[in-house]
Amino acid sequence: MYKPKIDTIAAVSTAQGRAAISIIRVSGPNTFAILGKIFVRGGKKTFPLPYSAFFGKIVDPIAQQVIDEVIVTTYLSPNSYTGEDIAEIGAHGNPVVVSRIMQLLITNGARAAEAGEFTKRAFLNGKMDLLEVEAISQLLAANTTTQATMALNQLDGLPSKFVAEIREKILKHLVQLEASLNFPEDAIESIDEYQVGRELRKILNELYIFLDNAKNGSLVSEGLKVALLGKPNSGKSSLMNCILGRDRAIVTDIPGTTRDTLEESILIASIPVKIIDTAGMRKPGDKVEAIGIERTLKAVEDAYAVIGVFDGSVIETEEDKLIIDNLKNLNKNVLLICNKTDLPQKISRKLFEGFKTVNLSCKEGTGLVEVFAALTDIFKSDGMANFDEMVLLGAQQAAALDKAVSALERAVEGIGKNYQDMLAIDMEETVRELGRVNGETVDMNTLDLIFERFCIGK
Amino acid sequence: MNKHFSVIVVGGGHAGCEAALASARLGADTLLVTLNISTIALMPCNPSIGGPGKGHLVREIGVLGGEMASCIDETCLQMKWLNTSKGPAVRSRRAQADKYLYRQRMIETLFKTPNLVLRQGHVTELLVENGIIKGIMLETGLIFTCEKLIVTSGTYLNAKIILGKSSWSGGPHNQSAATGLSDSFIKNGINVRRLQTATPPRVLDTSVRFEKLRELPGDIDSGGFTWEDRLRRYENQISCFLTFTDERSVEAVKRHLPNSPLVLENITDEGPKHCPSIDRKILKFPDMITHQIFIEPEGRDSRELYLQGLTTAMPPLAQEDILSSVAGLENAVILRYGYAIEYDALSPGQFRKTMESRIVKGLYTAGQLNGTSGYEEAAAQGLIAGINAVLALKNKAPYWPSRTQSYIGVLVDDLSIWDRPEPYRITPGHAEFRLTLRDDSAERRLIKDGYDIGLVSQSRYEKILAWKNRIENEIVRMSDLSLLPKTENREMLQKLNTGDLKKRVSCIELLQRPGLGYNQLMDLLEETKVLTDSDEIYSLETDIKYKGYAEREKEKIVQTQFLEKIRLPISFFDLKLEILSQETKLVIKSDKYDDLAQAVKKGAVSKTDLALILAVYSQKMHANSLNGEEDVK
Repeated sequence: MYKPKIDTIAAVSTAQGRAAISIIRVSGPNTFAILGKIFVRGGKKTFPLPYSAFFGKIVDPIAQQVIDEVIVTTYLSPNSYTGEDIAEIGAHGNPVVVSRIMQLLITNGARAAEAGEFTKRAFLNGKMDLLEVEAISQLLAANTTTQATMALNQLDGLPSKFVAEIREKILKHLVQLEASLNFPEDAIESIDEYQVGRELRKILNELYIFLDNAKNGSLVSEGLKVALLGKPNSGKSSLMNCILGRDRAIVTDIPGTTRDTLEESILIASIPVKIIDTAGMRKPGDKVEAIGIERTLKAVEDAYAVIGVFDGSVIETEEDKLIIDNLKNLNKNVLLICNKTDLPQKISRKLFEGFKTVNLSCKEGTGLVEVFAALTDIFKSDGMANFDEMVLLGAQQAAALDKAVSALERAVEGIGKNYQDMLAIDMEETVRELGRVNGETVDMNTLDLIFERFCIGK
Repeated sequence: MNKHFSVIVVGGGHAGCEAALASARLGADTLLVTLNISTIALMPCNPSIGGPGKGHLVREIGVLGGEMASCIDETCLQMKWLNTSKGPAVRSRRAQADKYLYRQRMIETLFKTPNLVLRQGHVTELLVENGIIKGIMLETGLIFTCEKLIVTSGTYLNAKIILGKSSWSGGPHNQSAATGLSDSFIKNGINVRRLQTATPPRVLDTSVRFEKLRELPGDIDSGGFTWEDRLRRYENQISCFLTFTDERSVEAVKRHLPNSPLVLENITDEGPKHCPSIDRKILKFPDMITHQIFIEPEGRDSRELYLQGLTTAMPPLAQEDILSSVAGLENAVILRYGYAIEYDALSPGQFRKTMESRIVKGLYTAGQLNGTSGYEEAAAQGLIAGINAVLALKNKAPYWPSRTQSYIGVLVDDLSIWDRPEPYRITPGHAEFRLTLRDDSAERRLIKDGYDIGLVSQSRYEKILAWKNRIENEIVRMSDLSLLPKTENREMLQKLNTGDLKKRVSCIELLQRPGLGYNQLMDLLEETKVLTDSDEIYSLETDIKYKGYAEREKEKIVQTQFLEKIRLPISFFDLKLEILSQETKLVIKSDKYDDLAQAVKKGAVSKTDLALILAVYSQKMHANSLNGEEDVK
């Protein structure tokens, strides 16, 4: 029987609720070999043992530096969740510590697990049936660990401080509001709704900028999608090969050869870009082609920018005009390429009016530098090169940020309109979700803060 | 005399009264044993019932068929709405109680309830066989046997009064302490801890100079806590008064601090956070000069006034000194000095949401013994204990309301896993679903439970159901109505300062605008006003106003309810759960939590394990729902 090569994976699986502890799970054949390099256990117990916990330290073997005191629980194959050797590292719930442990695991031979990969392995090793795997993977889908790990690295710095600060600002008002709601007869100054509203609006605007930076970060980390759009045989595939410097797309003279969208990654001015070759736009000839066109439209819709590709050696067709109309109505960055400039030019340049257009000959390789330069201009003018400001969030964190922003929007819109109890709910949600963005403990005991800050005693 | 009862209740405070009444009303022959029949339903501290959170409990007790709501409605001196401007979710009634009438009425109710026998006596021992409760023994050696026992010993267990440097054995309000029972708890494996609380001095009414103070009257149209009293008008209310401390009072407290039990440390520090003594306030907030002091009547025929905010156990001379520094109280004559009381309560984690002990089967505990503070919290637990004792007697499934459904649910859920040193008090801050758990929605949330349990009569159920349907049907009817942007409508809306009308707008949307009410809207539409009572209109308007918020809350409610339905310890162990971490397996097989929601809340289950359990259970729940079963055990 064919058996694929199995490597060792690791991921953070932070506990629910008031989690002072983060759990990092490692699974695979090299689990204990990797642990052996970075875990120095206390005591004399043989390591590992089935279902056993070991107290000890995670040490960076190169820097000879203690990262954290941890408890490692070991499970021996096949009696574990995945059926493989597993080690669960219980570390302190500090994002810096957790990300350093993850880095150590990875530099010593583990790989960051994909979303649902533990479950997948459990399934492959006969630990569950497919229905269960599906149910679990849905739940786990929001927790893409690679992204979370990247985000943790990112959040060691300024963004996390920024989020913590605005969270604290809102919390201060929330505590006062809650105090007056919970203890109406204690002489607590009720909040000035309008003043708080003005402050919340200011915070909201700051959050919008943060959100933009996160969106840019997410776009850039996935690669900016640039779709090639043109009629069949306008030379999209050869353009793609030309940009990539190798033959990726099948190039023939028969129009409609590229029936599916092709996707390739490349760095342009250090920015990761995904070039998407589409099937082209024309009246579908057969069913396969119809699907191809549908995918083209979808690719254009999903794209960050679109390159319109035109064959300069022929007179423009209805299809070309249709594409120009489409591009005009597109609220996206657009660049036009007039291709095949090595041949006599018959296309009317009037067609390109209003668009930045670059002349290109794939065959002779002229104009390629200008294409890259034009794309770089687009990226830069959109702030896509400002890596310093960009924020990388995991899927869960991004969702939390979205929730925080909508809750804060509701709070701001409700000022003077909604009751204070609704305002408190919106502010509470904002604070809670901002906590999730930062990976701080989510359990905030507002009542404790009330007693800390106000003299309650009616 | 009969020496065997189905249910015995020990203690006649607010928990004991509700427990005994619920048990007897549900048909169990019930004995209530109390140290002193004359002080049944005593309020040894503040003369008030209600307020945000607490008032919600009283409303819910009333809906479920408990007694506190109607008893206070009948005997109050003052009824008042609090938080009216801050929103329906935190709005609550607060009553000033006539302590004497309240007791009298409660005692009468107990006496006239069939199946209920009262006996004065000092219970000193639990009779337990093989971990199952069998009965009680009194100081006199008298033995009563029972199937279920409910202990509601309040602040009486090994109680000690502390006043300055002095201290002596004694219960609240100069009652005697209950001794012996704590040892019996310990002997049977139940742990106890020490808690404390304190009360302010009471002064003679004629010695207070009211003319200098701000009067705080009640609301005539507030209605009462019970559904039947919802539109009741309270004429002839008695006012409270408000005064403040100043520099002189703070000085006086500081001068006497060396004699404060807090400084002397002759008392445990674990007291209620929300009503610190005046000495504690000065110690904690030394720069605060102005503290409120509410002067509250204790009864129509009482000459005593309660000084809310001046709780202290400093010695008598200190109390006199402090009082004489406060405006209006310069010449106040103290009738009873303030004091602190230290008592035994159960250590955390020893009882379930049903109030049944995790250690001794058939034993239930409720009230301050369980580590709460407040009459309302005690009454709610007593009610739940009484109901569950009888349900268990009849071999029926236990009852507790979900925390997504009521403040009582929040209380029993929080309390059964409360592991903090201070006593628990309910506030809206504990209820994460408070926009749903509003005062005005109590009937709609709980009336069916009350009826199913058997504490709500058929006729009461039908009346409340009709009322509920009237409101709900009207909301449905309004969802189909809309207003056209005609000139007269637009002018009218502008006059009401509630925005313009650019296109056809639904009634629901219009009612969500500020400044527009049901009556005005129906006038504009020239529609019949089906609802005429103010409470019904209020409920409708509030429901509509909160619609969006309620829907968002609903999503979270469904998640919590799912977790609550997975009861612990799980009685079956699916082989698939073998792959859970060892810690999680221990948690879900142990008797530490009542359901998975509690375990998750306490961080006892990792995210990965939770996902796995949910995957297994969502299949099982689905299968069960096809078989018509509610819970997974």
